[in-house]
Amino acid sequence: MRQILLLLLAVEFGNYLLAQTPSETNGKAVFDKWCAPCHGAVAPKNVMFGTGALAGTSALAVKYKGKLPAVLEERTDLTPVMIKSVVRHGLFGMPITRKTEISDAELEDVVAYLTRSRKK
Amino acid sequence: MVLPPNVSEADFNAALNEFRSAVGPTWVFSSDEDVALYRDSYSINWGEPEERVASAAVAPAKVEEVQQVVRVANRYRIPLYPISTGRNLTYGGSAPNMRGSVVVDLKRMNRILEVDEKRAFALVEPGVSYFDLYHYIRERNLKLMLDVPDPGWGSPMGNSLDHGAGYTMAAFRDHFSSHCGMEVVTPDGDLIRTGMGAVPNSDSWQDFHYGAGPNVDGLFAQSNFGIVTKMGFWLMPMPEAFLSGTVTVPRHQDLDPLVYEVSYLEDLGLTGMPQYGSPVGQAAFGPGAAAMASLMQNGWPSAEAIENFVTAQRRPAWSVQLYFYGPEETVRATWQAAKRRIGKAIGGASFQDGEFMTLPIPKEKEPTQSDKPRLGIPALEVFNMVARNARNASDPPDGHADLFVTIPRKASALFESARVLYETYKELGLPAQGNPFPTPFTYYSRCFWTGTTVPTWRDPAKNARSRALFEKVMNRCAEHGWVGYRTSPAFQDLLISKYSFNNNSLLRFQEKLKDSIDPNGIISPGRYGIWPANMRKKRA
Repeated sequence: MRQILLLLLAVEFGNYLLAQTPSETNGKAVFDKWCAPCHGAVAPKNVMFGTGALAGTSALAVKYKGKLPAVLEERTDLTPVMIKSVVRHGLFGMPITRKTEISDAELEDVVAYLTRSRKK
Repeated sequence: MVLPPNVSEADFNAALNEFRSAVGPTWVFSSDEDVALYRDSYSINWGEPEERVASAAVAPAKVEEVQQVVRVANRYRIPLYPISTGRNLTYGGSAPNMRGSVVVDLKRMNRILEVDEKRAFALVEPGVSYFDLYHYIRERNLKLMLDVPDPGWGSPMGNSLDHGAGYTMAAFRDHFSSHCGMEVVTPDGDLIRTGMGAVPNSDSWQDFHYGAGPNVDGLFAQSNFGIVTKMGFWLMPMPEAFLSGTVTVPRHQDLDPLVYEVSYLEDLGLTGMPQYGSPVGQAAFGPGAAAMASLMQNGWPSAEAIENFVTAQRRPAWSVQLYFYGPEETVRATWQAAKRRIGKAIGGASFQDGEFMTLPIPKEKEPTQSDKPRLGIPALEVFNMVARNARNASDPPDGHADLFVTIPRKASALFESARVLYETYKELGLPAQGNPFPTPFTYYSRCFWTGTTVPTWRDPAKNARSRALFEKVMNRCAEHGWVGYRTSPAFQDLLISKYSFNNNSLLRFQEKLKDSIDPNGIISPGRYGIWPANMRKKRA
């Protein structure tokens, strides 16, 4: 009985650790929902805006002029501080995102996803 | 720390504690860092004492919690400001109308309560976005089409309550008009349902919007008489097909009959939102720039000079794109009828067949589909207009404030408003704005909207210039009876002052309602000019 209890405790502790570890998978899901409509990789051809119809991606293309990728998911230089700052403070036309939209835990997941290449 | 007006710090802290009891401590935001997330990213008063910042935010998850929050607010006289998704950018975003209010963030109330495919309606909570509702319908393969505004992250409820609009048929793109039934927490914490929702055993809440007796739904839009917690919407059955077509007409004077013919189609419910354009005007942004500058060099040109200019440019003066929704047989027949009527009415009119597609479009084609809102697909592509782009690369704005005014649906009014806008910019010594080829917005099918967009900044000096321009344009347009339908909190008192018939009798009536329904003035003080008695400015 004691062994079963210890085993259950160990499983619970494992689940707890997993829950505290930022998830790249969930980070991608959050990115797809909240970020991709402006920062995605696939842009439609738009009557008004031509081919660069995604506001975030096309704005970064204008800003970096090819020196850095315009698509956020292709960047390898993004830092956790930079990502959190832009999400919570906004930047130019990009508005502030509240915690009822992207929670702190979800933001950690987004950070894990967008910085995944830095860990490899 | 910002406190609500006339509330002591002790009372404010006591209220916050009671809010925590109501919704749970996680969902009351009171630290400076958390409250800052409720700033209006596009504020035209950013960083100034006039910026409308919150004192705290509270995020209930269900209607009973909203009622508890309202009761606490009454006890401590705390002003509340409800937001749904908080994405009403250019019109205040997630920031309150009055500095020091507690934002009631309804984003967590995000349930899609019902979507009925055969009766073609949806019933949703405030935090549901157009993206959410679209994905719900798409995942279940329901044969329904949404009507969406340009930014898809807003909510059907919030957008309709601020009189937002979309792109498909007139019956659906007026989002408030296409709602059916609402549930509201009143300022005393009571709960009402409108229309058939007031009949306890009715199953027709989203079928019939009036019920019986006075229809009060309009009181809860652009106002402060309650917190809406549920709302029904009529949806368009998914059309079998979509067809677009473009009409061009050669002369400047052809806009008048073109507007009549297009309005005829609109008023019969035969086309979605028409998109007016001007090939000559558009060319002024490219190869025709020098010619347009020459036309405008001595001020607003005469009708004869304009017509001669069009002839010399060898481009059509006007275009309009029409959009047809329905079975293939009818959309093709309607386009044929449109060509016949317009061809007969306007000499030299020409026609170009546009895109034909069967609906819904395949899921895999969605990402590359252009002009998504025309097909009821939510997107955020409109933000490209104000994000960093080739035209503003070195100094992109931080946001923008839209100033659209309602004018009659006729060419002469459009031309006159364009001339007034042009002269207003000139008086202020600003770069020329506009020319004799303006194109109207036709979101609401029975009128035209025209106007301008003013940049906003996180720089007080630049914002001061933007405010001066905004107010000047608003005042000048109002002299002609052209007044806006919606504006950011910074300009709501000014806007409402233009609706001044009979010594502001409309506003005085609304104030009487406010005093009766919300005697403590706790819901959204100042929303669209309606202030509680103790904050009301004395009118001359």
